[in-house]
Amino acid sequence: MDAITKILSLPAELLSKVPGIGPVITSLRTTIGQKILMAITGLSLIGFLVVHLGGNLNLFLGEEAFNGYAENLHSLGPLLWVAEAGLLVIFLLHLGLAISTSAASRKARKRAYELKETKQEGFVLPNGGSSGWMLATGIALAVYMLVHILDMKFDVRGFGEENKYELVKAVLSDPKTGVFYLLSLVLLGVHLNHGIGSAFQTLGLSNRKWRKLIAIAGTSLAVLLSAGFISIVIWASASK
Amino acid sequence: MSKDLLNLNLRVWRQSDTNAQGEFHDYRLDGVSTHMSFLEMMDVLNEKLITEGEEPVAFDHDCREGICGSCSMMINGQAHGPDNATTTCQLHMRRFKDGDTIVVEPWRASAFPVLRDLVVDRTAFDRIIQSGGYVSVNTGNAPDGNAIPIASKVQEVAMDAAACIGCGACVAACKNASAMLFTSAKVSQLAVLPQGSAERTERVINMVAQMDKEGFGHCTNTNECEAACPAEVSVDNIARMNREYVRASLTAKT
Amino acid sequence: MFRVAEELLNSNVPEGPIEQIWDKHRFNMKLVNPANKRKYEVIVVGTGLAGGAAAASMAELGYKVKSFCFQDSPRRAHSIAAQGGINAAKNYPNDGDSTWRLFYDTVKGGDYRAREANVYRLAQVSNNIIDQCVAQGVPFAREYGGTLSNRSFGGAQVSRTFYCRGQTGQQLLLGAYQALMRQASLGKVEIFARREMMDLIVIDGVARGIVVRNLSTGKMEVHTADAVVLCSGGYGNVYYLSTNAKGCNVTAAWRCHKQGAYFANPCYTQIHPTCIPVSGDYQSKLTLMSESLRNDGRVWVPKNPDDKRSPQDIPDDDRDYYLERRYPSFGNLVPRDVASRASKERCDAGYGVSDTGLAVYLDFRDAIKRDGEDAVRKKYGNLFHMYEKITAENPYQVPMKIFPAVHYTMGGLWVDYNLMSNVPGLFVCGEANFSDHGANRLGASALMQGLSDGYFVVPYTIGNHLAKTQLDKIPESHPACTEALARANDRVSKLMNVNGKRTVDSFHRELGLIMWDQCGMARTESGLKQAIGDIQALRSEFWKDVRVLGGSETLNQSLEKAGRVADFLEFGELMCLDALAREESCGGHFREEHQTAEGEALRNDDDYRYVAAWEHGGDGKEVTLHKENLEFPNVPPTTRSYK
Ligand SMILES: Cc1cc2nc3c(=O)[nH]c(=O)nc-3n(C[C@H](O)[C@H](O)[C@H](O)COP(=O)(O)OP(=O)(O)OC[C@H]3O[C@@H](n4cnc5c(N)ncnc54)[C@H](O)[C@@H]3O)c2cc1C
Ligand code: HEM
Ligand code: HEM
Ligand code: SF4
Ligand code: F3S
Ligand code: FES
Repeated sequence: MDAITKILSLPAELLSKVPGIGPVITSLRTTIGQKILMAITGLSLIGFLVVHLGGNLNLFLGEEAFNGYAENLHSLGPLLWVAEAGLLVIFLLHLGLAISTSAASRKARKRAYELKETKQEGFVLPNGGSSGWMLATGIALAVYMLVHILDMKFDVRGFGEENKYELVKAVLSDPKTGVFYLLSLVLLGVHLNHGIGSAFQTLGLSNRKWRKLIAIAGTSLAVLLSAGFISIVIWASASK
Repeated sequence: MSKDLLNLNLRVWRQSDTNAQGEFHDYRLDGVSTHMSFLEMMDVLNEKLITEGEEPVAFDHDCREGICGSCSMMINGQAHGPDNATTTCQLHMRRFKDGDTIVVEPWRASAFPVLRDLVVDRTAFDRIIQSGGYVSVNTGNAPDGNAIPIASKVQEVAMDAAACIGCGACVAACKNASAMLFTSAKVSQLAVLPQGSAERTERVINMVAQMDKEGFGHCTNTNECEAACPAEVSVDNIARMNREYVRASLTAKT
Repeated sequence: MFRVAEELLNSNVPEGPIEQIWDKHRFNMKLVNPANKRKYEVIVVGTGLAGGAAAASMAELGYKVKSFCFQDSPRRAHSIAAQGGINAAKNYPNDGDSTWRLFYDTVKGGDYRAREANVYRLAQVSNNIIDQCVAQGVPFAREYGGTLSNRSFGGAQVSRTFYCRGQTGQQLLLGAYQALMRQASLGKVEIFARREMMDLIVIDGVARGIVVRNLSTGKMEVHTADAVVLCSGGYGNVYYLSTNAKGCNVTAAWRCHKQGAYFANPCYTQIHPTCIPVSGDYQSKLTLMSESLRNDGRVWVPKNPDDKRSPQDIPDDDRDYYLERRYPSFGNLVPRDVASRASKERCDAGYGVSDTGLAVYLDFRDAIKRDGEDAVRKKYGNLFHMYEKITAENPYQVPMKIFPAVHYTMGGLWVDYNLMSNVPGLFVCGEANFSDHGANRLGASALMQGLSDGYFVVPYTIGNHLAKTQLDKIPESHPACTEALARANDRVSKLMNVNGKRTVDSFHRELGLIMWDQCGMARTESGLKQAIGDIQALRSEFWKDVRVLGGSETLNQSLEKAGRVADFLEFGELMCLDALAREESCGGHFREEHQTAEGEALRNDDDYRYVAAWEHGGDGKEVTLHKENLEFPNVPPTTRSYK
């Protein structure tokens, strides 16, 4: 555990020595600083997902629309690479911080309680609702994304469709893959259900007056995103 | 047996010092009056133990009216027991049923090492306050109390935060053993008051740094601390501290 | 039983008009050169309002301070529990308050048994306290316009009480604690928490250090210094049951007493009328219900002692509103001592309610009818909630049951005008000294006194002592240190080695009952004599039969308690002796032999207008009574009457 944390904190260690940005890095390395980064990266990932969902909804408009969208995207060339690299960095940062903050928190209580209950009410999930499943759902999402990109971008499993539209349909209508997608997308909803409200609180953008509203909005967005992607999976399996 | 008396099974953490292993001991306690407070029940247990030649269970307590913040027991998995806005010393046995098994543990957090049985070392909190939880004003330096008017609403916000009794239940209840609620309560109180605003930048930076140094966990906004807090300190304070922190990081001169 | 010293005690109050004494005295006192201050070390025992304020202020001045408390953090000192508020003569409400009025009220409220000059100084600095606390960020209640809010408290005729909801003590203490923590971060104060003071080190008649036991390791430590400031609070727990925190003790003061410091007026005890009654023999402490409840609640008992109806069903005609009956002009708002005695009188006469017969009703029915439940909830909601939490009864529907409980001790170590005891170098502040409250303390005045002593008095007067006294460095190997250390160790091993059968608490309970019955709200010669005998017997049984398990070099709460109870067992006897020697009734001290035909207190100014300061003569030896005469040129004594 300690070794992982050490390795993960190496880049930050080095960056904080760089004159000019050193102090900023130092303040980002505290518990609050790390959480702020998580919130920013998390919200950025949500931003990507909103755009991604928007793009993917072109599927409903037919092959032409979707492929046109995909080609448009690819015609950006180097710009796209930069965006993809950026996304990768954000993703890795979020992932790295997720692991290192969780590890630190585990270290903050070495011996677990024999019995631990909650005083909060109204959780659907055990273990304190969505917030108790952030690392688990997050890691599941990472696995999902790996599989997803390998299929959609590189077609490593060899569905053999040249056309993006057909490839997507082929991937999604594969029964095992479909189930895997559906499961992952539900987990995405769970992750974001807590994540969105949490990010606002972490960034200090919350108070008694707004908290309820932010939570409702967060849950709604989570459901919307999750449902949006799920609708695509269902559509693809149905239209095969 | 009268309905005012309970027979209880107690499962209590016993640990002879910080480095000892520690383990649960099971005790049977009969005829506990429902009018007793939880600590009075522990007193009765201790009297019984002493009479039987076993060392009594050590636990911190002082005021026994919910204000000093000494008492600190994890009761059936709940910091300060099952009631909201209640300290261990204010909890009464009428909250339990005849035949119940009650598990009693110390606060568990690396930053709160167990000293003995249910007694933990909370000096980390003192060091957090030392790192900036004050207004730098020497005795005799003060202007008239009414020199700076403070809207009663602002004062109420400060008072809500200042109500923290420093018990550590927030840390105990948080799955990350995070001290954000405690730290943010003091940061908030002093940030909203004009008297504290001169030092707000350094204060939040230093207090967060100290909080980290003590080995408390990260806040994942679980809100369990607020639910467990006997003084009903709100997680609004955590948001405010985060805000203060962002502001301070962007404006600090160093 | 005791000897009376010929020579009168000198309070060292400077001459002059009372308004000028403090200013002139501050001018006349010697100052310590700022550069020299850091060479002086000062020990402060206690981190309550008095100790916290004193340690922080002296560190700010440049002294090296060591601060001690028995709790795990300085922030938990018992001052934290004060609810009602703190007085000051600000006259913000413009209702005619002034330094003089606060001074006058305090001297009168103390039943003319306080030292005028001290009380005047207290009233003088009261305003500075409020300013200081506001500057520290203490969130006092405010008006909508943003100015500080005041309320009337404890029957005072002006609104001079500042408050933070029902948590004034907490907020004031946190202010002092934060000031202390700031000095700790600057390296000016070293904090020693979980330390119990075991003994005082006196060298050539001057206090030069203390021995403490580290409560987490059990190890004894010797700390030397140039002066010792004792701020260890009150000793109400000699009664076992009181509104005090469980750890409150007389140990620190008593060990000083045994090293020569005089104990003044130990019998002056304040019994607060509105506390939640005892519910069973497991009871470990009593909870205060704020005095403010008497502003709207009416106190009564049934006229027929055998009335078994539930209180709501008892019509007005069958109720005895005894305070309103006896004191038509003040009614339910008579001072604490008067209200407490009146309820004891009713209960003794068999009119008490509840299973124990030791309770009276405090009824809000009429207030709720008059102002509505919401208005009552707004004023007292948190108190009603607390009451319900403890008793499981809803005071909106059923009258509260209340009974008096020990609350505050006006007695304490004797100090002069400089707050220095008769042992040079030993200063005593806050509830631990015999205080400025005479025989009875007014509500919201203890917080004021603690902070006055700590912030604004002792930091000056200590300089005078340090500047005037030759103070050589004391090595820890000094014979006086090793002797004190040996005394402390010896005591611990004695306690550990009794190996008896009875628990410490059982002795404490028994002592408490003796004290409550014989030296509580009403005292008699025969009762007090009986008590003295009983305490002596109990004490010898204690040393034969107490059982302290575990080791001494570890955290051992039984051992801590045993040490405190052992001291209470000695101290209780002195309290009774003091009560016996004071053949009058004044304030919290009521001798049944000295009352008017209507049962009111009868003071004897001719013979007892003095402070009784007791000198320890050695274990088992005769004690000596030293008298300090009290003069009242500014507030001529009258009979307190609330009829
Ligand atoms: C329930 C309650 C409500 C009250 N409400 C009010 C109110 O509204 N207004 C008001 O004016 N007054 C009130 N009072 C009285 C007031 O709170 C106290 O008189 C005052 O706070 C005493 O302060 P202190 O600094 O002298 O002592 P404390 O606050 O009692 O502090 C004593 C300190 O000494 C230390 N100490 C004691 N013994 C030892 C030892 N042997 N070794 C080492 N350290 C030791 C303790 O650790 C502690 O730090 C109230 C009292 C009670 C009990
Ligand atoms: C599409 C991908 C993801 C999105 C949109 C996302 C979004 C978010 C957001 C918004 C937060 C809240 C930040 C805060 O509380 O301040 C968050 C927290 C978190 N995320 Fe993610 N995340 C994603 C992927 C992941 C992955 C792959 C992991 C893990 C491997 C992960 C693990 C976590 C963890 C552990 C937290 C902290 C838990 C908490 O704040 O309660 N996330 N995420
Ligand atoms: C069922 C719904 C989804 C469909 C149909 C879909 C479709 C696609 C397609 C076709 C690509 C390849 C684009 C390219 O070749 O450049 C892609 C890439 C990607 N998808 Fe999805 N996606 C879905 C859901 C998701 C979800 C839920 C996530 C995240 C949690 C996600 C994350 C990504 C990422 C990170 C990439 C790589 C982006 C890039 O390289 O530009 N996708 N997706
Ligand atoms: S915030 Fe609440 S739970 Fe935490 S220390 Fe303060 S009072 Fe206790
Ligand atoms: S419970 Fe813990 S995660 Fe944060 S909101 Fe409270 S500190
Ligand atoms: S003992 Fe003081 S809060 Fe419980």
